[in-house]
Amino acid sequence: MSKTVISMRNIIKRYYIGQPNELQILNGIDLDVTEGEFLAIVGQSGSGKSTLMNMIGALDRPTEGTYFLNGQDISTLDDAELSRIRNKEIGFVFQTFNLISRTDAIRNVELPMMYAGVPRKERIRRAEELLEIVGMADRADHQPNELSGGQKQRVAIARAMANKPSIMLADEPTGALDSRTGRMIMDLFHKLHKEEGTTIVLITHSPELAEECDRIVTISDGSIIHDTGVRTNAVH
Amino acid sequence: MQFIENLRLAITSLLANKMRALLTMLGIIIGISAVIMITTIGTSIQKTMTKTFNSLGNFNIIAVYLYTDEDVYMTDDDMITREMLDELVEKYPEHFSLDLQDNLGSATVRNEKGQIITMNVTGVMDVEPASDHRRGRTISYQDNRELKNSIYVSDLFVKQYFGEAVDPLGKEITLTFENGISGDFTIIGYDKLPAMYLKSYSPGTKEIDKVTPVSIPLDSGLNLFHREPEGEWYAQVRYNPDYDVKMQEQELQEFFDEKYAEKPGISVQLENMQTYLGMMDTVINVVTIAISVIAAISLIVGGVGVMNIMLVSITERTKEIGVRKALGAQNSSIRMQFVVEAIMICLIGGIIGIVLGIVGGMLIGWLAKILVTEFYSEYAELISITIQPSVPAIIIAVAFSILTGVFFGYYPANKAAKMNPIDALRYD
Repeated sequence: MSKTVISMRNIIKRYYIGQPNELQILNGIDLDVTEGEFLAIVGQSGSGKSTLMNMIGALDRPTEGTYFLNGQDISTLDDAELSRIRNKEIGFVFQTFNLISRTDAIRNVELPMMYAGVPRKERIRRAEELLEIVGMADRADHQPNELSGGQKQRVAIARAMANKPSIMLADEPTGALDSRTGRMIMDLFHKLHKEEGTTIVLITHSPELAEECDRIVTISDGSIIHDTGVRTNAVH
Repeated sequence: MQFIENLRLAITSLLANKMRALLTMLGIIIGISAVIMITTIGTSIQKTMTKTFNSLGNFNIIAVYLYTDEDVYMTDDDMITREMLDELVEKYPEHFSLDLQDNLGSATVRNEKGQIITMNVTGVMDVEPASDHRRGRTISYQDNRELKNSIYVSDLFVKQYFGEAVDPLGKEITLTFENGISGDFTIIGYDKLPAMYLKSYSPGTKEIDKVTPVSIPLDSGLNLFHREPEGEWYAQVRYNPDYDVKMQEQELQEFFDEKYAEKPGISVQLENMQTYLGMMDTVINVVTIAISVIAAISLIVGGVGVMNIMLVSITERTKEIGVRKALGAQNSSIRMQFVVEAIMICLIGGIIGIVLGIVGGMLIGWLAKILVTEFYSEYAELISITIQPSVPAIIIAVAFSILTGVFFGYYPANKAAKMNPIDALRYD
C-alpha cells in the first residue's frame, strides 16, 4: 500500500482579507497525492494553479483548510518551520531555472544540503552523484552563464533532488526551452519517476505535456474541475 | 560550515562588482587611514620626544626645593647644605647621587707651541655619559670626595692641545683661572662636542680661538679656590631608575622632612622631571584621540555608504533571495549572508585604510626627518625621529571596521531575511 504524500482538505486562499477588494483565489481544494505519482496540474493562467503550487510547496499558508504533507500538518507552521519543510520535503524546479549566479553547478546542487547542515564531504559526494544522474557530471564546475538552458534545467533538477524530497514540484519546467530541449527535460522527469520513484507534481498549461503524466488534475477559477485519477495507459 | 560558504559568497559578490565595492570601501578607507595616520604621528612624536629628552641628559632627576610660608623669610642657615646632601648619598648610596654644578669661570692653558687655549670650566659632582663618542670616563662623586684633580675635556681641546695623533688620557695639563690661581689636572676622558655647539662660532673663527667646555670635580675646584660649598634653596638629586621611583621619592621626602622638622614655616617640595615628560605625553595623547575621533566621523559616512550599497545589492538579488528561501534557507542564513558581505566590505576597506595610514604616517615622519636635517641640521643629531605606528589604534581600527559592517549591514540584511519568498521569486 503506497502512502499518501499530499493530503489537502478544503483549502481556501483569500487575499486582501477584510478589504473591499478581497479576493478568493482557491475555493476549497481537496487533493490527495500518493507516493510515486507523476501528477500534472493544468489550468489557464489566472486559474489559481500558481497559488496552489505555492501552497503545495510550503511557500504560503492557506487561509482555511488543512494540508498534511507526509503526515505533518503544515497549514499552521511558522516561517522557520516552513523553511525546514521546503528544505527537506520539497524540490523546486522553476521555469526560469533560477540557478544562483556566479556559483558553479556543483555548488548550486549543494545549496539545499548546505541549508540542511549536511557536512561538506557528504554534500560534494551526493552532488556529484546527482549531477551524474542528470548527465551533467562533466559540467560540475561550470558557472550558470556557461550553460545552455537545457543544461541549467538539468542542474536545477539535480538541485531539487538533493535532500531526497517527498515531492518534486516543477513549475512549467519546459516553458523557457525550445521543444527539443523541453523533450529532453520531460524524458529526464520520466526517467527519475521510473528509476528513482520520485513523486513529481508538474504544473503546466500545456495539455500535451499533461497527457504524458499518470494523472491530470484540471483547475479552473480556483476549483478542481476534473481529475483523471491515476491512469495506467498514459501516453508515455 | 555555512560561515565559510558565506565568506566565499561575499568574496564572489564583491569581485563581481569590483569598482562598486572599491567605491563603497572608499569612505571606510579614508576614515581608517586618517585615524591610523594621526595616531602614527601621535605615537611617533611621543617616542621622538622621550628619546630626544633621554639623549639630552638624564631625566631621572628629582628637584628638591624649599618652600616657605608667606610670613617666613629664609636665611642662609635654612639652606640645603652640602652636608645634608652628602648625608643623603651616604644613607642611600644605591639610590641617590647629586646633580650639582657650578660655573667656575674661564681658564687658559698653553700648548706645546705656546698657543693659548681658553676653556670654560664647570665644576660637577658626577656626570652620566651621554654620547657614544666618549673616551675614558666621566667625573665621579668619588673624584669629588677625594678632591682629585681630574678633568674631562672635549675632542676640540684634544685637537687644540695635542694635535690629533695623541692619546690624551692620563696626560697632565696646567690650568690658569681668571683669578690667577692655577692647578694641574689629569685628563680622565673626553667627548665629541655636539655639532650645534661648534656652529655657534661665527664662520672663520680659528680653531685655536674656540672656547672649549671642560669639567672638573666641583669640590676640587672649590678647594682650589679656598671656597666652601654654599647652601642652596634648590638642589637636584638623581635617583636610580632601577629601583621603584615612588619609594625613592618617599625616602627623599622623609629625609628632608626630618632635616626641616625643627624649622617651622619651611617645607621641602619634590618635583620629578619625569612627571613633566609624562604630562606632555598625556597632552599629546588627548590631542591625538580628539583628532582621531573627528577623523572617525568619516567612518560613519562610509558606513552609510555601505548600508546604501547593501540595500542596492539585496534589491538586485531579490530573486536570488527568493530562490534561496524556496530551497530552504532560514531567515537567519540569509541575514548572515548579507551581514558577512557588509563586514567583508568594511574589513577589506579597513585593512587597506590601515596600510595607507601607516604608509602615510611614515611618509610624514620621513618628511619631518628631511626637514629637520635640511633646516635645523644643528639639532639633527639631537633629535632622533622615531616613526612608530600605534598598535592599539590598529587593533581598534580592525574591530571598528567589523563593527561598522555589522551595524550598517544589519538593517539591509534583515530586510533581505524578512522578504516574502513568493514575492521575491516573482521579482524581475
